[in-house]
Amino acid sequence: MYRIGVDVGGTFTDFTLLNETDGEVKFHKVSSTPSDPSDAILIGIREMLEKFGVDSGRVNFIGHGTTVATNLVIERRGARAALITTRGFRDVLEIGRQTRPHLYDYQVQNPPVLVPRARRFEVSERMNRDGEVLRALDMAEVDAVIDKIIACGAVAVAVCFLHAYRNPAHEAAVRDRLHERAPGLYVTASSDLLPEFREYERLSTTVLNAYSGPRMQTYLDRLAANVHSLGSTVVPYTVHSNGGLMSIPTVRQFPVRTCLSGPAAGVVGAAVVAKEAGFDNVVTFDVGGTSTDVSVIVDGRPQFTSNRTVADYPVKTPMIDIHVIGAGGGSIAWMDDAAALKVGPQSAGAVPGPVAYGRGGTLPTVTDANVILHRLSPQALLDGKLKIEEAAAREVVTQKVASPLGLSVEDAAIGILRIANANMGRAIRSVSTERGHDVSKFALMAFGGAGPLHACDVAAECGIPTVIIPREPGTMCARGILLSDISLDFVRTCIMPATAQSWAAAQQNFEEMRREGAAWLDGENVASAMRRFVQLVEARYEGQNFEVAVPVPPDAAVSLGAFLADFAAAHRAGYGYDITDRQVEIVNCRIKAVGLVPKPHNDFRPEGVGTLAEARIGVRTVVFSTTSGRVTTPVYERGRLPPETDCAGPAIVEEMSSTTVIPPSAKFYVDAAGNIIITNIKASQ
Amino acid sequence: MSTGTSAKAALVRGQTMADPIAMEVFSNRLLTITEEMGNTLIRSSFSTNIKERKDCSVGLFDRHGRLVAQASHIPLHLGSLRGSVKATLERFPAENMRPGMSFISNDPYLAGGTHTPDIALVTPMFADGELCFFTANIAHHSDVGGSVPGSISANARTVFEEGIRLPPLLIMEDGKVREDLLDLIVQNTREPEERSLDLRVQIATNEQGNAALRGLTAHMGLSAVEQAVEDILAYTARRLQMRIDALGNARGTFTCYLDDDGSGGDPVPITTTVWVENGRLVVDFAGTGPQAKGALNVSASALEATVFYSAKALLDPQLMPNEGMMQSIEIRAEKGIIVNAQFPAATGARSITCQKIARSIFGAFRSILPADRLMASGNDDLPTVVFSGRHARREGTYVYLETLGGGGPATGRTDGMNAVHVHVTNTSNLPVEALENEYPLMVDAYALVERSGGAGRQRGGLGLVRQVTSLQDGTIFSARSDGQKHAPTGVAGGCDGLPARLYLDYGLPGEKILPSKVTHLTLNHGENIRIETGGAGGLGDPTERPATAVQTDLDNGFIAPEDLSLYGRG
Repeated sequence: MYRIGVDVGGTFTDFTLLNETDGEVKFHKVSSTPSDPSDAILIGIREMLEKFGVDSGRVNFIGHGTTVATNLVIERRGARAALITTRGFRDVLEIGRQTRPHLYDYQVQNPPVLVPRARRFEVSERMNRDGEVLRALDMAEVDAVIDKIIACGAVAVAVCFLHAYRNPAHEAAVRDRLHERAPGLYVTASSDLLPEFREYERLSTTVLNAYSGPRMQTYLDRLAANVHSLGSTVVPYTVHSNGGLMSIPTVRQFPVRTCLSGPAAGVVGAAVVAKEAGFDNVVTFDVGGTSTDVSVIVDGRPQFTSNRTVADYPVKTPMIDIHVIGAGGGSIAWMDDAAALKVGPQSAGAVPGPVAYGRGGTLPTVTDANVILHRLSPQALLDGKLKIEEAAAREVVTQKVASPLGLSVEDAAIGILRIANANMGRAIRSVSTERGHDVSKFALMAFGGAGPLHACDVAAECGIPTVIIPREPGTMCARGILLSDISLDFVRTCIMPATAQSWAAAQQNFEEMRREGAAWLDGENVASAMRRFVQLVEARYEGQNFEVAVPVPPDAAVSLGAFLADFAAAHRAGYGYDITDRQVEIVNCRIKAVGLVPKPHNDFRPEGVGTLAEARIGVRTVVFSTTSGRVTTPVYERGRLPPETDCAGPAIVEEMSSTTVIPPSAKFYVDAAGNIIITNIKASQ
Repeated sequence: MSTGTSAKAALVRGQTMADPIAMEVFSNRLLTITEEMGNTLIRSSFSTNIKERKDCSVGLFDRHGRLVAQASHIPLHLGSLRGSVKATLERFPAENMRPGMSFISNDPYLAGGTHTPDIALVTPMFADGELCFFTANIAHHSDVGGSVPGSISANARTVFEEGIRLPPLLIMEDGKVREDLLDLIVQNTREPEERSLDLRVQIATNEQGNAALRGLTAHMGLSAVEQAVEDILAYTARRLQMRIDALGNARGTFTCYLDDDGSGGDPVPITTTVWVENGRLVVDFAGTGPQAKGALNVSASALEATVFYSAKALLDPQLMPNEGMMQSIEIRAEKGIIVNAQFPAATGARSITCQKIARSIFGAFRSILPADRLMASGNDDLPTVVFSGRHARREGTYVYLETLGGGGPATGRTDGMNAVHVHVTNTSNLPVEALENEYPLMVDAYALVERSGGAGRQRGGLGLVRQVTSLQDGTIFSARSDGQKHAPTGVAGGCDGLPARLYLDYGLPGEKILPSKVTHLTLNHGENIRIETGGAGGLGDPTERPATAVQTDLDNGFIAPEDLSLYGRG
């Protein structure tokens, strides 16, 4: 039987096909179809099955990463939504944290509020911090508000009351009344989605869920129909932001959880691949056309956050901690009026794209610099499907950069790359140190179409000694989907000093959440032997306003003393110190319900591999630095590189989805799993 | 007071970069170092002020004490580290410095500080035995002693009421902290353990920056580094010079007012006149009122920071903060006025005045800038409210401090943002649910103030209201705010925003309006405080506002039907 992983990106939709019997992996790529992303999924699967001679009846799993929810938010194409909230607080959605987005530029504005004030309704009700009702919900008022919501043409409703994380009764009553009176409305109650304190972030997450819900449902219906039309009975799974899989009914209920869908799968896959290659501490470096995703893997595990934004709106559901940098292959190089060369943040994107792609681009990009220096093929990419126009790239870089600076076109192109790499390197270091890591103890794992082009230069810029390039790096996210498990996160806020009594209450919480999780896993048809629970407590010292996550194994009775010791250790690791004798406060209990998915060993079985010389498919004159001149550099076909053979740079390694640049002084080899491992990377000048 | 000498403009215009690409790469590397230092400082500190409000900054200086790069999280620190480095170099000449030394200071008069809670650490960096750079950082500590917890009281009469005064002092020698001195400092504060922790973090932050700089110098070579530093400063100076040259011969003047000087009394005028003279931007404060009896005074460093912030925001928001952006700006402020206060005036509450200085400078630029870069006045008040009392669930007392945002200014291209911080600060609020879990207080409303934004083609942003009820007897309330007597003004035909208001027992039988500064008011169970912050001024003739935008404002309740006539509709 076969398993398929699909990642829908802005430009391309990537596919990975895994043969469960022998572990063999195949890759495929088609252009995305933004008007209905499920079309590209259908086209690609059909092409791939045909190409590799696999019958659709032999596919028993399809998992996909999707940007549908994120794009609905970015492009403001979500549903006409309304909000019902506690009297006195409808503007919380607009006030947010009362900060402005740019310290100095007042024309940079906060993103528009997704539910305008006219559709934000208040009802009389109030709970206190203990969830006790101070003011009962007035159902007559609720009915009057529902009348207004129906009248204003809203199709989705977010319901969010103060302290509902502690007592969901009022939200549930409003939700049920909405279902009863207007069954066609898409309704999200904050206590169903995210019963966690701090009202603005919970509210924002709830609103995003309602806003993206109706169209996400439409998309999922089409996707299921498309898969069905292949003659397959498989029901597709979706990767959520935490790198786990969810079934269609769960996604329909919680679409906001898919915001980081594809990139999260990439990090999950990277962690597995790196660990198998013997690297536990890795910085992932996923470079696409317009942006670069950076994430840190520690001790073989992706890191998580519940504190980030999607298109500048806070989303509080747990996600893999991925930092997005506005720099990629399409980043534009430009001269400012005081004669400095800048790269980005403006991007030529997929359309019109780099000048060298001949799709109408007129401004010099990072990709154009790579073409001029022959790091990228000056003829064609994507197995010949994408023709490259080198002369056009040279002309535009000459005109816009080289001439104004009085440089040769090669030196100008090197300059563009140096600045782009310095930008990316700075972001990597900042992301790592912000989380307390020293990058010199990490390896850089590069993927995405453009990651391997920049990996060695960026590693040199950051002081990272080793680079890992997985197979078909351009489809890593699709591959990661096949390495993901089914999972869903649950949270409960219970703010209390950590005492013997409250610790028992926390255990009680976990027990209830495990029951909730088990019920969800029942719905996902996960066998009991394949179930796992991951638990953690978020806690802080009294007086602090941020929390530290402490794992609490579910299968062992953890004593309060052991928990406090673990908390102190986690605080030391995160912040460099702990405080003896200071009261610890428990804030949130979190649980992740996991259904393990069988993941056959990712076997690497190179075909037609002989000697290094036989892998050589040509020679290019590549420029590595302003002093290197054009260096005659062998070009290798990735799939034919002999494993476990020591090789030396300079070298260019090409495969369908990516090109790897290995500088003259570096050493490299292909490991048993097919990864390229590059060492001896020299610091850049 | 004046910064630098005049007639350098021609020189600045002629400066060129040796290698623009190396400059850009190098500036990224310097920013990497300052960001890493900032991350360490924020991540490892204990104080809420540093960790969550990010009331801290880090900077790199060359061996001459010129600012080369800075990561600042609030604009009020822009360039304010320069005062600390200059004072340190005056007291400890460079030739006497040795590796392993580090210096501490905070005083607004003895050490180029802005107010006592901001403690600066300056550490020389040596490579091959030669002094190359200084790393520096500044952080707002939650208490440095003095007459009130937090060390800031609007009606403090002298700096002696504002906690421990530190001239530049040697806090580390031969790589070892001088523990007796550190102990003297922290024992003069209300939370010695936390102060000690945070000061050690500040020392370690500079050490980390020095290590990174040593790596960079070893890697690139000192001469390449020095060349790149010159290039960065020359580039920034030239870029600012182009913006100044574009202003031509225009001249602008503007006066705005503080409600009072912190201890009651009449409104205090702040007058700014700006013009270009010999290619330099002159910012003159002639006409500004005398220094205050209360703590609203501004020291030289805080004034400079506010002027640099304003110039960057008005002329070139992307300008790199370094010495290059400072040499073409000349500040003229006679001694003894509120924006250049003299010893021993108290300066704790300087940020309220700095907001008004920014309003005054932005106002003076109204007659100079092109239409699309104009801005109305915003909620330039920085209201701070403090509640304290007994903890409900544990021993001891709590102090809950919050600063509030308000209307953002209408600009030539955009409506003002609703309920944001403007000018010298940009700190987060405390969530209602976090507040109610922590303190015996309840929030009755957190909302926009309807109709508070000034009408205009671009409408001013709305102020916000926060109403808090005490859940026990004996809650102590204080407020340091402003903006009740003078509305944020509109520009180019735009209308004024609504002024700020502070109420006691809003909607209850004893409701009354409070002045903008309140000290030690006692609230009993069920009593409330309601603060309504100012809206912002609008920009342009309101009748030119598109009909759809007016209708949307009406639908959203930002304006009321009776306001339609202002927009020529109704």
